[in-house]
Amino acid sequence: MNGWMGRIVRIDLGSGRQEDIPVDPETRRRFLGGRGLGVRLYADMCPATIPPFAPENALLFMTGPLTGTVMTSGRYQVVSRSPLTGTICDSSSGGSFGAALKGAGFDGLVITGRAERPVFLFVYDGTVEVRDASELWGLDTHATQTSIQEQTSAKASVACIGPAGENRVPFASILNDRDRAAGRGGMGALMGAKNLKAVAALGGKAVAIADADGYKTMSARLERAVDKNAVTGKSLQVLGTAVLVNVINAHGMFPTENFRRGVFNDAEGISGEKIAESLLLRQSACYKCPIGCGRTTRTRNRQGEGPEYETVWAFGANLGISDLEVIAEANYACNELGLDTITMGGTIGCAMELCEAGAWDARFRWGDADRLDGWVRDTAHVRGLGAELALGSKRLAEKYGQPELAMQVKGMELPAYDPRGAQGMALAYATSSRGGCHMRGYMIMPEILGHPVFLDRFSTGGKPEIVALFQDIAAVVDSSVLCRFLQFAVGVSTLGEMLRTVTGLDFSDAELMTVGRRITTLERLFNNRAGFTRADDTLPPRFFNEEFQNGSSRHRRVRLEEMLDAYYAVRGWDREGAPLPATLAELGL
Amino acid sequence: MIDLDRETLAQMIDHTELSAHSGEKKIANLCSEAHTFGFYAVCVNGGYTRFAAEKLQGSGVVVCSVVGFPLGAGTSTAKAFEAREAVQNGAAEIDMVINVGALRDRRLGVVRDDIGAVVESSRPALVKVILETCFLTDEEIVAGCELAVQAGAGFVKTSTGFGAFGAFPDHVRLMRRTVGPAFGVKASGGIRNFKDAWRLIQAGATRLGVSASVAILEGLSLYPFAPAAWLEEEIPCHVCPSRFASLDKQPKAVYAYYKKKCLACPHREQFNKFYE
Repeated sequence: MNGWMGRIVRIDLGSGRQEDIPVDPETRRRFLGGRGLGVRLYADMCPATIPPFAPENALLFMTGPLTGTVMTSGRYQVVSRSPLTGTICDSSSGGSFGAALKGAGFDGLVITGRAERPVFLFVYDGTVEVRDASELWGLDTHATQTSIQEQTSAKASVACIGPAGENRVPFASILNDRDRAAGRGGMGALMGAKNLKAVAALGGKAVAIADADGYKTMSARLERAVDKNAVTGKSLQVLGTAVLVNVINAHGMFPTENFRRGVFNDAEGISGEKIAESLLLRQSACYKCPIGCGRTTRTRNRQGEGPEYETVWAFGANLGISDLEVIAEANYACNELGLDTITMGGTIGCAMELCEAGAWDARFRWGDADRLDGWVRDTAHVRGLGAELALGSKRLAEKYGQPELAMQVKGMELPAYDPRGAQGMALAYATSSRGGCHMRGYMIMPEILGHPVFLDRFSTGGKPEIVALFQDIAAVVDSSVLCRFLQFAVGVSTLGEMLRTVTGLDFSDAELMTVGRRITTLERLFNNRAGFTRADDTLPPRFFNEEFQNGSSRHRRVRLEEMLDAYYAVRGWDREGAPLPATLAELGL
Repeated sequence: MIDLDRETLAQMIDHTELSAHSGEKKIANLCSEAHTFGFYAVCVNGGYTRFAAEKLQGSGVVVCSVVGFPLGAGTSTAKAFEAREAVQNGAAEIDMVINVGALRDRRLGVVRDDIGAVVESSRPALVKVILETCFLTDEEIVAGCELAVQAGAGFVKTSTGFGAFGAFPDHVRLMRRTVGPAFGVKASGGIRNFKDAWRLIQAGATRLGVSASVAILEGLSLYPFAPAAWLEEEIPCHVCPSRFASLDKQPKAVYAYYKKKCLACPHREQFNKFYE
């Protein structure tokens, strides 16, 4: 078989039983792998109302047909129902774990049940071993990875949780290859609930390529496309993702102090340029990645990875903190403890506003850099004020009677783009299948960066169509499985060419877009069954009622209602956001 | 409605790699892409003309070589020699840069003779005349176009891609109006995506000089999936050279000229209203 390894294995941690899950060629073609095939398998296996922490809930580690082949293909996707949002969720991570898992002979692992005591999985040469992890329980992610490599192989790639995952913090992340994170949606907490400390994968098997000559030519073309593109060939390489700080701030949509302002006066001091001047030790890159957006940095006290754009915002502008070292160290702590930095920062921002509003009598103050590290550590260990923060912003704000102060969609905290500055991004947030996420439909590309078409960011015209298009493309990339940054350099046709040379299957643009639409529609079906409706496709009231008074996004509000019906129509959903029977028939769902 | 197919668009593209630091590997990739996607030509620096011609032999893709690039301020003799050598090395088209300073000085005879010398020494190759519109007023652009026609060139071209800004629909329209329907107009510089390209084609460009050629074709492929986004009306200022005028990069008189045009623009009020 070309592209796929042809094996997905189910491991029940309760009974220790393992069985292969057969996937027919037609299903592979219709869902590819990664996110798409993961969601398909998950939806077949688990009811939409399954409690995320229930032993019978499934947790999938998925690779795709392109994993371990072309540039940026070391990634993997973790799929399950999110304990943070209750939606279907997949969380993606870079590094080389995906390539190692596939090289071990598997397209995916489906993990069910709950082990009696802590375990880790060692996956190699078509074998899955369940090993004791009692002594690893309580260790941070770095110590865990080192210890498991000592027990298995120095070449093993390890995806693991830290104390946050063990303590089932609903936004606990999974860390692999030291500091690469499957950050969003709390997939780490699901590992914790299963007593699963880690999965270690040792690759070795090569992925069979259908058209070796075509693959070589296409790889050379890909290299040139990445090099020629200003974002992938220059900005991300030199300044990392934090290159966006000054750009987004200049557009007046850099969320500041829990999205109350769109311009952070100290943005320059936390920018990618500043990181390069003050903290940067070296650029770091994932498996076969020529971009290398990662930053290995050093503060006066410590060394670590990051901060990336979202983190520099979450612990910086969002909290009114402009001390780059403090931000970097909070990032290091999140990596070690296994926490999603966006939700962590979003929740602290919510706490600060709750306290300022007098709804909560606690010591959260804007710009309080001294306490940041402590809040992060307490959250991971669910102690003191951290036990409150571990609720996430939605539950926290509800608890203190001001739900409108949580900047979230469907329970997931919003990232670093204020939707008042980009109407398409607002629609993408509201309709994202996993909640307040920028990766489901990254409208910053057309609305700010002008790719593949430059759109007026304040207009709602044409936005429903292009949001749906971007969401579908994202689903295809996540299912292939590649890094989203490649989207800056290549389009759907090149993606089809990659799939053709690797798998031997011809994918037209139209077929790939149908694959994307099928996946997003299946996710929608799942979420509808989980109880989500049109009423959940919305944003916090702040974005509809409050305007910035300065900056280049001043006097703007989100005009979601102008777009939502049209978006549903483009998608083939009814006015309540439920896929129509004709749509399901067309997509074979 | 965009009524353009992928093959027609590809045949309007000179797939371009002109950076100083590009080596044989990049030129080889450029040629491979041009062949794969059916672009009309590859556009390269003279040092790679023979290399590209050998790579593309029998492919149907022609080689375009630049001359007097990117400043255009050398002697006509040197340009003529460079052009002749490029043709001998396999170039079927020559993109030459005019003597921009002479045109701004109104030494029109010098400019005409400069173009004429290249046209003469390039035969039978087609000559495209790069005006470098970012350094010119509208009046000078018109004069440059007329001189190119008089000197026997086949195309006028907007930009080198190394100036203050690249191609704008306003300039392409003006050039098309000046040279008439039968003459070639090539837009180049800053064309990053399909919408940029489509805008310039609508303005009258018959050839595009781009390095993001594959991305542009892919943009056309995406159009059917979200046509409204691609057809959404543009804010006029986003595609106006006045907005991109730069005192750092342009002669101060040219900079002032563009800013003055901005002040008199009928779209100004609408634009201001649009953004408060």
